[in-house]
Amino acid sequence: MTSDSRVSGAAALLRFSLFLFATLGGFGPLGGQMRPMNDESGMGIRAIGLVTEARPGLLGENRRGWYLTQPIVSLHDPGAHLSSQMMLNFEAWTLKEGELNAGTWGEGFVDKRHPHTFLHEMVFTLHTDSVGSAFSLTGGRGFAPFGSDDPMVRPFVKFPANHHWSQVMERWVVVGAARLSSHLGVEAGVFNGDEPTGPRSRGETSRIGDSRAARITLWPARALELQVSRALVESPEHVDGGGLDHRKWHASGRLSFDVGTSAVYGFMEWTRTDQYTQAEDLAYSFSSTLAEAAVDMSRFLVAARWERTTRPEEERLEDPFRSARPPADESVIGVTRWNSVSFHMAASANGSDFALSPFVELSRHSVQEISGGIFDPATFYGSTRQWTLSAGIKLLSGVQHSRAGRYGAALRPFDQPMMNH
Amino acid sequence: MHHPRAVLSLTLALAALLSAACEPDPLDVDASVTTHPVADTLPVLGQGIVAERFTGEVASRGSYAYTTTWSSRAGVRGNGVKVWNVAGAQPQLVDSLIVEGAQTIGDVQISDDGALLMVATERTDGSIVLYDLANPAKPNLLSRFMSDATRFAGVHTAKFGRVGGRLYAFLSVNPAPPRLVIVEVTDPLHPVQVLERTMGNPFIHDVFLRDGILFTALWNDGIAIWDLGGGGSGGSPANPILLGSTPTVGGQAHNVWWYHDSAGQKRYAFVGQEGPSVIGSGASGDVHVLDVSNLKAPREVAFYHVPGAGPHNFAMDEASGTLYAAFYNGGVRVLDVRGDLAVCSSEERAADGRCDLGLMKREAAVALTAGSYIWGVARNGDRLFASDMIKGLFVVGLRH
Repeated sequence: MTSDSRVSGAAALLRFSLFLFATLGGFGPLGGQMRPMNDESGMGIRAIGLVTEARPGLLGENRRGWYLTQPIVSLHDPGAHLSSQMMLNFEAWTLKEGELNAGTWGEGFVDKRHPHTFLHEMVFTLHTDSVGSAFSLTGGRGFAPFGSDDPMVRPFVKFPANHHWSQVMERWVVVGAARLSSHLGVEAGVFNGDEPTGPRSRGETSRIGDSRAARITLWPARALELQVSRALVESPEHVDGGGLDHRKWHASGRLSFDVGTSAVYGFMEWTRTDQYTQAEDLAYSFSSTLAEAAVDMSRFLVAARWERTTRPEEERLEDPFRSARPPADESVIGVTRWNSVSFHMAASANGSDFALSPFVELSRHSVQEISGGIFDPATFYGSTRQWTLSAGIKLLSGVQHSRAGRYGAALRPFDQPMMNH
Repeated sequence: MHHPRAVLSLTLALAALLSAACEPDPLDVDASVTTHPVADTLPVLGQGIVAERFTGEVASRGSYAYTTTWSSRAGVRGNGVKVWNVAGAQPQLVDSLIVEGAQTIGDVQISDDGALLMVATERTDGSIVLYDLANPAKPNLLSRFMSDATRFAGVHTAKFGRVGGRLYAFLSVNPAPPRLVIVEVTDPLHPVQVLERTMGNPFIHDVFLRDGILFTALWNDGIAIWDLGGGGSGGSPANPILLGSTPTVGGQAHNVWWYHDSAGQKRYAFVGQEGPSVIGSGASGDVHVLDVSNLKAPREVAFYHVPGAGPHNFAMDEASGTLYAAFYNGGVRVLDVRGDLAVCSSEERAADGRCDLGLMKREAAVALTAGSYIWGVARNGDRLFASDMIKGLFVVGLRH
């Protein structure tokens, strides 16, 4: 057993705790009185401690890692016409070497999830409502109006492989949204195409406006949300531009309703990213289909996820979980298709100020090289089939994101971005 | 369930999504195209098998050839240089050099006097490593050069070139910021950096130096031509002066060869376009022909295209007007580049006005077109050495 990328443990935990202590001193007690959603300013914290084992992880060897993942402080101020929300993410301290997460890739990490940026989200939204409609204008650092919710606000702890196909995040955005009726919403936005180069990345502000996205959402019923979105992202992997451009499609359906005291959630998405050279020639295409469902029975939550995603295989660096960013050319060493099935079970213990949720998550991955490239999964991993088992505890307190990726009028009044845990 | 309309809508949506999910995996159009099957017209005389590592570039002089290794294969790092005795038809492996600490190596070059071997290392700790070739069967490590300009990036390629009697190494350093680094190696024990200049969009991949004129391949910025002492503009290796530049069709300008023909004409430069590729199966890009008779106003006049394949490095027999192009999965392509390449019939001309060397029947020969992935070629007498990333070193006969 190779132990891999452990939390530099106590030090990271201590830093995060000290930050919380200092922050809480400024904002007062956590909003743990189970207040109604969005009726006042609020703050929340979130953190997950877990252990993950991948069998095999690399070259036939099993890998294990201990992590403090998603250490987050959220702030929310819902004004009548001006609201703001901020999410600070401290994975730079706790996930310096990434988190074991088979299939996931992006920002130079492969089969490990990269740490997100400190300033994960900070947006201000101007909004106005009239009879049957609503309009908003959002600016700041956050999500482009494309794709699905951040996996962080969905049932699973481990991210799907399609994270970088289905979300465009941590960008400087200006997003206009209109909810034209109770059944139709539209959004359009511009942003900087460059993706973060590391957790301290602030984004290339000179590129704001070089990329754009739009989304149409249908709400045929209260419980159902259907959307189609399109994004044109300029050179995400080269901060100075000149790299491959991404043209993306995404479609999804999201179902959410209550049965008695249980909450039922279902979700399915399809997405495709075509990568083009600066001469507008198609270089590569990748796609993903994902379906997941969950039933939250107050004290217990069960969830299942199925995913089929293709991803590029690039040369690995000395650290086999890393690839060069920016890359040194436009070639890949293969394309792999990941078929994954995951199950998640969690219990929940609610205190007055917090919720503790121990969980277990099991995934089965099948990986196949489909392009004829030189990347050989059987050799690289030691098998074309992998198991991933994770167990840990999730801590939530105060105001939390319930949706992540939509702002202002793109959300219905009862489908707010923030809620108490 | 309290939402019958929701169920109906979701069912329809799921059906649509499932139908999309059942589409075949979209793959790169170009890379998935099989190259047109053609029969090899040049014989393979021998092969030196390299199975434990991927093979990179090849250089050859006299009775020896040198191949680099690249990336990582089944956990074995591409940090070695293979030394081959090629006096006979079958290459004999006589030595291997391991470059300590190198994550991968790529380019290998022999100086014009045959005295030095240079190897470029990539990723972090980018460097050039210089070996003495007094005994070409046993290269002897002389020095390793690394500076802040190379340390945090990688030396993608390194080329020797002589200006004013002094020997220089020209380093193409990537990734961001891409930059040209020039190192004087006249005293190979004490290399001295004389220039670091940012150029390339977003890469600089290779250079070509001749007569004090430097050509740089700058990807989407095309080709730039610099006076380093031979252009009459006062340039030098420490202060290159830009003479001219031109984008190439499609960008991705990767390498260049300035052709001086047997009559002394210096009209054409050949540019390799390294388009997107899936290493091992497909590649893309063309050979572009630039008219550089006016160095201040180069212009593209012709091209050569192989469907589903793309070029990498070149070698030339200038006396016979023959260009040898490594073409990855397209094997080795041999082009007759004698005469006027900018004049062709309307049937031989592309819509944008450029002449198509394929339609002009300029493809003189092909080799290794089945099951190979050719990185580089080196001509040595009447033989061509071709480095196959998957299989190792091939020896191709040039008399056909």
